[in-house]
Amino acid sequence: MKRLVNVFAAVLVAALVLVQGHGIQAGPHRIDVTAKRFEFLPGEITLKKGEPIVLVLKSVDVAHGIRFKELGIETKIGKGQTSELAFTPDKTGTFVGHCSVFCGSGHGAMTLTLHVVD
Amino acid sequence: MYRTLFAFLGAISLVIMIVALLAIPFVNIAAHPPGKAETAAMNWVKHKVFVRNKWQKNPAQSDAAGIADGKTAFSHYCAACHGLDAQNSGVPFADRMSPPVPSLAGNEVQSYTDGQLKWIIDNGIWPSGMPGSKDILSDDEIWSIVVYLRHLPQAGSLGEPEMYTH
Repeated sequence: MKRLVNVFAAVLVAALVLVQGHGIQAGPHRIDVTAKRFEFLPGEITLKKGEPIVLVLKSVDVAHGIRFKELGIETKIGKGQTSELAFTPDKTGTFVGHCSVFCGSGHGAMTLTLHVVD
Repeated sequence: MYRTLFAFLGAISLVIMIVALLAIPFVNIAAHPPGKAETAAMNWVKHKVFVRNKWQKNPAQSDAAGIADGKTAFSHYCAACHGLDAQNSGVPFADRMSPPVPSLAGNEVQSYTDGQLKWIIDNGIWPSGMPGSKDILSDDEIWSIVVYLRHLPQAGSLGEPEMYTH
């Protein structure tokens, strides 16, 4: 009986290792981004083409937004709130997103750069 | 020789400063509308000399989405002085500035090229109250505002800016 329990435990551990190793439960890659006057942190992110991604954007002051015109994606972030932007980059290149909600004197220079690579 | 020259220039400077100080009480610095000749001269100089970037093309699309983008950007920032319709509707001080805030639907503004309008929004115009907005607004937003300026709604149709109504 004890031997059976040991075998069962070993199989369970192996299964867990396999599941984690293959990322079955991992889902899209999530990246935290802080939005504050007048920058996104981090300001540059490198992504893989074809890999689903979720940008988790948190505003720590006023309302902000992010818009990647070339990628056709946008979200707004309420004052002090969090917003998620899920997408799968389908082309390589460098894409600059701008804050899409007017937030003050440095609004026009508030950008987040995505580098999408193969 | 040089000593005499410096003394002479110093004396002239001193006289000019004294005259300027004595004249201060008689100078009227209150805002008043410029005359027709002054306005015509300034408009000509602005269009032909001061405002640059005449030939740059607008990369923003002049479709419904482009106009909507420009309207949104305009309403966030420019509307405080120009009204939501860019024709000063609801702006209480528009005709009290010197020079008055112009209607952006008027020929004086519409006769600028797209590139010149971008330059004006980027850099402002001295000595009017128009400030430069580079980095306050992104290039995309400024170009979209230029699109909006070419497709303005009827004067008064958008109401007054919210800040003047509560």
